Amino acid sequence: DSYGMFVEMDKMDGEMDVQIKKKKKIKKKERLENMKKEMDIDDHEITIEELEMKYTTSVTKGLTTNMAQQVLERDGPNELKPPKGTPEYVKFARQLAGGLQCLMWLYLAITLIAVVVQALVIRDGQKNQINANMLVVGDLVEIKGGDRVPADIRIISAQGCKTRSPECTHENPLETRNIAFFSTTCLEGVATGVIINTGDRTIIGRIASLASGVGNEKTPIAIEIEHFVDIIAGLAIFFGFTFFVVAMFIGYAFLEAMIFFMAIVVAYVPEGLLATVTVCLSLTAKRLARKNCVVKNLEAVETLGSTSVICSDKTGTLTQNRMTVAHLWFDNMIHAADTTEDQSGQSFDQSSETWRALARVAGLCNRAIFKPGQDTVPIPKTLSRYLAKADRQPQPKMAQLGLIYLLVMKGAPERILERCSTILIKGQELPLDEQWKEAFQTAYMDLGGLGERVLGFCHIYLNEKEYPRGYRFDTDEMNFPTSGLCFAGLISMIDPPRATVPDAVMKCRTAGIRVVMVTGDHPITAKAIAANVGIISEGSETVEDIANRLRIPVEQVNKRDARACVINGGQLKDMSSDELDENLRCHPEMVFARTSPQQKLIIVESCQRLGSIVAVTGDGVNDSPALKKADIGIAMGIAGSDAAKNAADMILLDDNFASIVTGVEQGRLIFDNLKKSIAYTLTKNIPELTPYLIYITVSVPLPLGCITILFIELATDIFPSVSLAYEKAESDIMHLKPRNPRKDRLVNEALAVYSYFQIGAIQSFAGFTDYFTAMAQEGWFPLLCVGLRSQWEDVHLQDLQDSYGQEWTFSQRLYQEYTCYTVFFVSIEICQISDVLIRKTRRLSVFQQGFFRNKVLVTAIVFQLCLGNLLCYCPGMPNIFNFMPIR
Amino acid sequence: MEPNTTAGGDEEQHHGDDPANATGESEQKDELEMVSASHQEEQQEELAQHQPLEAEDLDFEKWKPKPKPKKTFSQKMDELKRYLWNPETREFMGRSGKSWSLILLFYSALYIFLAAMFAACMWALMWSINPYIPTYNDRVMPPGMMMSPRGPNGFDISFNASDRRSWVKYVAALEAYLEPYDDSIQEQQNIQCPQDAYFIQDDKEESAERKACQFKRSWLRECSGIEDPSFGYSEGKPCILLKMNRILGYLPGQGTPINVTCAAKRGGQENLGDIEFFPKSIFNLKYYPYYGKQRHVNYTNPLVAVRFPRVQLDTHFSVQCKLNGKGIINDSPTDRFLGSVTFSLEVGA
Repeated sequence: DSYGMFVEMDKMDGEMDVQIKKKKKIKKKERLENMKKEMDIDDHEITIEELEMKYTTSVTKGLTTNMAQQVLERDGPNELKPPKGTPEYVKFARQLAGGLQCLMWLYLAITLIAVVVQALVIRDGQKNQINANMLVVGDLVEIKGGDRVPADIRIISAQGCKTRSPECTHENPLETRNIAFFSTTCLEGVATGVIINTGDRTIIGRIASLASGVGNEKTPIAIEIEHFVDIIAGLAIFFGFTFFVVAMFIGYAFLEAMIFFMAIVVAYVPEGLLATVTVCLSLTAKRLARKNCVVKNLEAVETLGSTSVICSDKTGTLTQNRMTVAHLWFDNMIHAADTTEDQSGQSFDQSSETWRALARVAGLCNRAIFKPGQDTVPIPKTLSRYLAKADRQPQPKMAQLGLIYLLVMKGAPERILERCSTILIKGQELPLDEQWKEAFQTAYMDLGGLGERVLGFCHIYLNEKEYPRGYRFDTDEMNFPTSGLCFAGLISMIDPPRATVPDAVMKCRTAGIRVVMVTGDHPITAKAIAANVGIISEGSETVEDIANRLRIPVEQVNKRDARACVINGGQLKDMSSDELDENLRCHPEMVFARTSPQQKLIIVESCQRLGSIVAVTGDGVNDSPALKKADIGIAMGIAGSDAAKNAADMILLDDNFASIVTGVEQGRLIFDNLKKSIAYTLTKNIPELTPYLIYITVSVPLPLGCITILFIELATDIFPSVSLAYEKAESDIMHLKPRNPRKDRLVNEALAVYSYFQIGAIQSFAGFTDYFTAMAQEGWFPLLCVGLRSQWEDVHLQDLQDSYGQEWTFSQRLYQEYTCYTVFFVSIEICQISDVLIRKTRRLSVFQQGFFRNKVLVTAIVFQLCLGNLLCYCPGMPNIFNFMPIR
Repeated sequence: MEPNTTAGGDEEQHHGDDPANATGESEQKDELEMVSASHQEEQQEELAQHQPLEAEDLDFEKWKPKPKPKKTFSQKMDELKRYLWNPETREFMGRSGKSWSLILLFYSALYIFLAAMFAACMWALMWSINPYIPTYNDRVMPPGMMMSPRGPNGFDISFNASDRRSWVKYVAALEAYLEPYDDSIQEQQNIQCPQDAYFIQDDKEESAERKACQFKRSWLRECSGIEDPSFGYSEGKPCILLKMNRILGYLPGQGTPINVTCAAKRGGQENLGDIEFFPKSIFNLKYYPYYGKQRHVNYTNPLVAVRFPRVQLDTHFSVQCKLNGKGIINDSPTDRFLGSVTFSLEVGA
């Protein structure tokens, strides 16, 4: 029995965790042995007596308090351990610095207001209400409708107990009959059971811990920055070494040359870059936060932009997560109902008599209740919403219609049809002959093929004489007719897609992003929804579709002809990773159905193997491993569980898939703009470095001092480089393919070389021209400057002659040097202003982009000029920051 | 239309308790129950199709990330070699010869252009700059002050009068310094200027050579080194020479000659004794303005020789000599040599 196996696996895994610490070789052997040994234990198959034995408990009295205390000490509290991560105070300190702290604090507050779950436990034969985290294995607990199941429970006795769990049974094939899983919700009924697993050892706990086991992948931007650092370091060392050799050649002492080498390497570091990147990313994060995407990790902003595959969960993300009437079959016609969230769409013709009857049956059969204030909502609307709660088993119900009783029944269509002898057509009861039955079958198949859940409805007016007023109906005795009923119609329901999703999927597609649906749902439903939202586009066929159309066996179909592909968990299990890769390669439109959390992980890994940057959206605990594994995990803010939010890099506050598209757009924009910013920031490195190189090689008085360099890097140039982040998109970036992470680097050689050896060289040229001019105008002609360094810097030489024979003291020369710094500084500033205009655009002309459209940039240039003026002309600057007023 | 809730409720209970049903006790009393059971079967079918999790699915170990295999050093070296020279594509560092030569061509063109432009700028600069008068001279004003001789570690004069080796370096420096001031050279090159006023020669052509006034070494008398070639060092009565840094076109003192004073900052003024100045304690106006080394070829800075005839022996003095006059700054906090010079003096027996 497969179920039994996974319970064992639980235990085995717990032991395995311990073993990890041991040596690997031993581990492998022991694991195999353990696997064999543990196979025999079977919590759900053993009898209750055996269960009592195993957990030393009693199904009537529960554990003794002492025993419970002991077990609690052994196993620890029944709660999920938060994944190991950065200590909170470090996070706090980091957050303090960010601009997002307000939103983050809000999020924190929301997380803290989690209600403490209580559980009803029987110990020593006494019923007690205790906190769920105090529960231990072997405890006897009672759950009732509305409770959250506090741990994995083997059910001993139950009355009408139903559990529903978005995390396990609903989405995943973790289905069994006598086990209720931790964190699922008991919908109705009462049950008593023995706890078999607590805390991290529960199925959900295991899934959640899987998430923390998945390593955090480096974000693409982090990789980019690493790559960039490599380039910079390479160039720095290259330059440093070259000039080390040159300096040695010129005749400097080894130590002096070493100092030059170090100074060059240090001077090469773009100090302002980190600040620029961080500020640019924060700005985008802020912009996204306004659009309901909260970014937990700044780098994730860019990741979203480079995303090439989105693995989306279905329930709650693509769909509204509520069953809604989609189609009705009556009068031998399929009518489409309005499935939009706000009931704004077109409705069907409701004039038929049959509809009235069907509506009455459906209305009577459903167990929905009007919420306060909904009294005025028209029945068809509410009906289509609340029918969702119905289930498929035939359920007769009595209703009093004046003097007579009406028996109404709903259930699985074929079962209902079996009980019917007539069918309601246009208000007329017609005998249910073979022709109608065929019509029914066709309609049933059609609706079923749409992936919808179909219910049949029938009714019968009970004879007044046989069933007078006050007749006591007894469902156990069945003292009423259960056959020969009148068939009213079929109603099919589906969890309809959100209104914004098809559009968003379309946008993703034009942006070259594959949207892959990964769901725990049934393949047919998944396929239907996928087709509905455009994940499987119109006209795309699966291999099976082609086989059906051509009437050939599936094996004969060329796989590459099929654009779409639906793979279910069972198939996935038998696939090797190569096969999966192959499938992902040849079918652009993929739907994975009936997948387990681990399989979600495989799918993400496979996409990543193919070189894609993968975004995963999800809400449940079962999604958390995949969220963690993905390059960017996107959790739902409203429906999302804490585990999912923890594992995610980004949270959609409005649960809207369309927000992702906005995120992608912003991410792409920031990548483009970061490129501009970095290019801008890098350029000035060369004019900052060359003065030093010339100073070493040609021995001119130093043209540019360190303080001045720092002012360029950290004061005047920061604002313009950040302002590039506000640059509008040059073209429709959402019509481009996602960047190829291997080719389209943030900083590639071309960009570095262009910045350094072209623009940088031109800027240096400008700087030196100005420097020599400033020197010559004060009496130091260029040819005199060459080789002047040792005399210029001699503190005892207080009467150094310039080209005119004038004699300068050391301090006078020093102030002249400061003047040169300032002149060089201003030259770089002016060049950088033109540089920022060059960098404004990468593809368009600056005239097409518009000079003044980026207001921030204009402000930045004005600011830069003002700051430059302040530095030059503010009194006291010469002695504090080595700036001299220049003409 | 009152729904009969009791009936419905009962039914629900019966059909809702799936978990309990599954364990056993299947009593199919009536038709409805049978229907329910067969329905259950259908659900079972569905379940089978769903493929519940199996052992391998829960082998969590399998999904934990594995470290990437590390490349060995030789592999890395091979890759590097291949990167440097790929024999298949005949590429050096990922580029073919043609690509490299185009790059080289572009950069040589760019840099030749930049260099040419720089040269042109420098040429234009030198062309636009007046070789006789500097465009600005505000950085060099007001004048600094300098002395001779200087010690090996800067501005300190310490010697023993009896130890020739301790002062010979000072004497040599003074001798060298005063060489252009030799009377014969002065008489030969420069003119005599009798009047005590600025010697302005602006009426000449801009590029014409200006005449310079004589400053004869003999005027320095005891400090001239003519009578006493040891400049008084052998007697413990040292001489130093002071000079005001020259500035093109500068007219010091605005009509009144700049005056020089010296005082002991440390060591006590009375111990330093009298101080003698030669030829006078002023810089005569006739040596100004200076017309620059192009036009004032033979210009010699006027000097003031300072002699310390009665300095107390074996005492460490710190002596400050200052220029005093209109437009002179001698107390700059940032520049100790602006209009003043400070040196240490220690004379041994």
